[in-house]
Amino acid sequence: MSNETQRILTTDGIPLEESLKKVERKNKIKAFLLVSPLLFFLIIAYVSPILGMLFTSIDDRMVTNMLPKTFKVMKQWNGKDLPSEKVFEAFYQDFKILVEENRHGKLATQMNYEKNGFKSILKKLRRKMEKFEEGNYKEQIMSVHKRWADVEYWRALKRRSPSYTYSKYLKGVDMYENEKSQIVQVPEDRRIYKILWLRTLEIAFFVTLFCFLMAYPIAHLLATLPMKYSNLLMICVLLPFWTSLLVRTASWMILLQQQGIVNDFLVWIGIVANDNRPVMMYNKIGTYVAMTQILLPFMVLPLYSVMKTISPSLMRAGKSLGGTPFITFWKVYFPLTIPGIGAGCLLVFILAIGYYITPELVGGASGNLISNQIAYHMKHTLDWSFASAMGLMLLTGVLVIYWVYNKLVGIDNIKLG
Amino acid sequence: MGKLSKLLLALTFAFSITSSAFAVVVASWGGAYTESQKLGYGDPSAKKLGIPIDWVDYSGGLSEVKAQKEAGAITWDIMDVYAMDTINGCDEGLFVEFNFDKDFPPAPDGTPASQDFFTTMPSKCAVGNILYSWTYGYHDEKIGSNKPKTIKDFFNTKKWPGKRGIYKTAMHNLEMALAAEGVPSGKLYDILETDAGLERAFNKIKELCTDPKGGCVFWSAGAKPPDLLMQEEVVMSTGWNGRFFNAEIGEGAPIKQVWDAQGLDYQYMSVVKGGPNEADAMKAIAEMTSTEGLAGSAKYIAYAPWRKSSLKIIEAGEPWYKDGKTNMLPQMPTAPDNTKNYFLVDPIFWADNSTEIGEKWEAMKAGL
Repeated sequence: MSNETQRILTTDGIPLEESLKKVERKNKIKAFLLVSPLLFFLIIAYVSPILGMLFTSIDDRMVTNMLPKTFKVMKQWNGKDLPSEKVFEAFYQDFKILVEENRHGKLATQMNYEKNGFKSILKKLRRKMEKFEEGNYKEQIMSVHKRWADVEYWRALKRRSPSYTYSKYLKGVDMYENEKSQIVQVPEDRRIYKILWLRTLEIAFFVTLFCFLMAYPIAHLLATLPMKYSNLLMICVLLPFWTSLLVRTASWMILLQQQGIVNDFLVWIGIVANDNRPVMMYNKIGTYVAMTQILLPFMVLPLYSVMKTISPSLMRAGKSLGGTPFITFWKVYFPLTIPGIGAGCLLVFILAIGYYITPELVGGASGNLISNQIAYHMKHTLDWSFASAMGLMLLTGVLVIYWVYNKLVGIDNIKLG
Repeated sequence: MGKLSKLLLALTFAFSITSSAFAVVVASWGGAYTESQKLGYGDPSAKKLGIPIDWVDYSGGLSEVKAQKEAGAITWDIMDVYAMDTINGCDEGLFVEFNFDKDFPPAPDGTPASQDFFTTMPSKCAVGNILYSWTYGYHDEKIGSNKPKTIKDFFNTKKWPGKRGIYKTAMHNLEMALAAEGVPSGKLYDILETDAGLERAFNKIKELCTDPKGGCVFWSAGAKPPDLLMQEEVVMSTGWNGRFFNAEIGEGAPIKQVWDAQGLDYQYMSVVKGGPNEADAMKAIAEMTSTEGLAGSAKYIAYAPWRKSSLKIIEAGEPWYKDGKTNMLPQMPTAPDNTKNYFLVDPIFWADNSTEIGEKWEAMKAGL
């Protein structure tokens, strides 16, 4: 009896608790159904490409499957001297099948990524192979081209034997795994990726810094000026934001070049001599100037949205408690803007790290960044697995920066607007 | 309901017209070059065959067509490609292999197509389109009374101080450096194959770029070299002969080019395997690269036709340029006056070595 009274029943006689749960479950399903298109979209447009990229960067089954016999025999080879007749014979047999199935071209492309010069010797082998006699394949193959007698080419072949490999990631930091399974650096005159990574980070860092230094006062003005002035200023910030990236880059080229408007002006007012015009384009200065201007709105807008919410009375309170303008700014105003600074810096840095059109156009020799290399391997060498590996390394870099930021400032403190 | 269905009908109709599923789509490089192709042989061939030919722009490389193929939705039928890309595309199985004498019409005098071409093709998937050339140009009014004449002058910063514009990748630069060292053109690639020779070429470029009186500006788009010269960013710049021609004759700019040690290079066309209209595409490519077709495009740009027989048509029709007063043959890279000293850019060398040399090149650029 007492039990019955404690459990509240609905008019249908079902306990209220259960009935509520049922409704809640329904609501949960409804809510899930509501967001499911978005979730689905995210999986298709965001998660699966990243997973696909990861897979492309490590998948090397194609080459493994092309030369099954060769790789089997190669297991016994120590990698020091030229391989034995057995390896040559197995390779000949594998390659013959590839030629019959017309797949040898793909092997040539893949092997040429591993070691340059493979393309032509594989093609030459294909042409000469038709006249091969049975037996003594080592001699016959080596007589096709002198590179076939170079052990480096066979080592390169062996490096491609595993089905899954992380070699593209090593290549992205100028390293490779040698025949003794040690990870070593590539020859000095070919180390470029480390330089490019550092240069990319350097440019992204300084662009972020310059953006911050310029955007802070602008955002402060925007937040404190009376409406009619601040609206005008806001349009000045947003107008370039709505203009095409290429148009803005091209305008900087017109402004900064040797015979450009800025140089003409400097000569006209007599600061510099006509035959000694400063070089402001096709070097790092050009990159910094153009990228800072292009990315500035991404810093101004989050800063503005945060500064707008800071009540002016706080500053007045600080002053009335005896603080100098600098102390009140530093102790009261600045800490309150940190969420905006964090958001702006992260946004600008992440965008800057992946920029490549602007640096290429205005940066000259120094305008080659890691993203340019990714584009180059996507478009020209067609080495998509290497491009994927570098893309993921870039993504990881961004995530690391995000993580460091989270540790230092706390991600909850971010305010995007 | 009546209105809605009419609207839908109209929309479907409009869509079916604009998408024109039956047209042959050619991907090319845009600008003055595509214009010359479209006016020179695209439109006449389309009219003759009754097959519409559409032109789309792309910026080189095989990534788009590879992606189209992997997605199973190929939208391009014919591509205008570099020699290196025809080799790579053929290896990847992206392009149709030709049987030259069967797939392409003979010259008017009956010479089979393969005999009418300037040289043999770098791959079975490529048919020659034009010959263009890497030369260097200068601003005629600003250079002074002493004009540069040879490839050595390009590297002479004492006589002509100032920056030089060079192409952003190693291609052609290394050959040019060795040619300026006095290496005969037949031996360029033999020497580049050796480590010492490569080093020598690299040092020559490095010397030019680090010279306080010299320095390098790297260009990537073909329209840039004349632009750099006109803006006086550089005193001399390498570039493509058609672009210098366009600036000098087409637009009347004071730009002159130097033909000494010019690098002759070819541009090809390929048919995408499994494209939407493969059969029509084969007909269209045969018509476009016929003797008359190739002669037609030379009316609009100073690139030489790939077929020897086309030259005869141009010769008979001089002045052949669209302005009606410029003789085209002396402007061609193949003109006898221009080929006193030249070399052929070797696509097989670059297909083999472009990645490794490319890395070295970037490492050198990074150290400038």
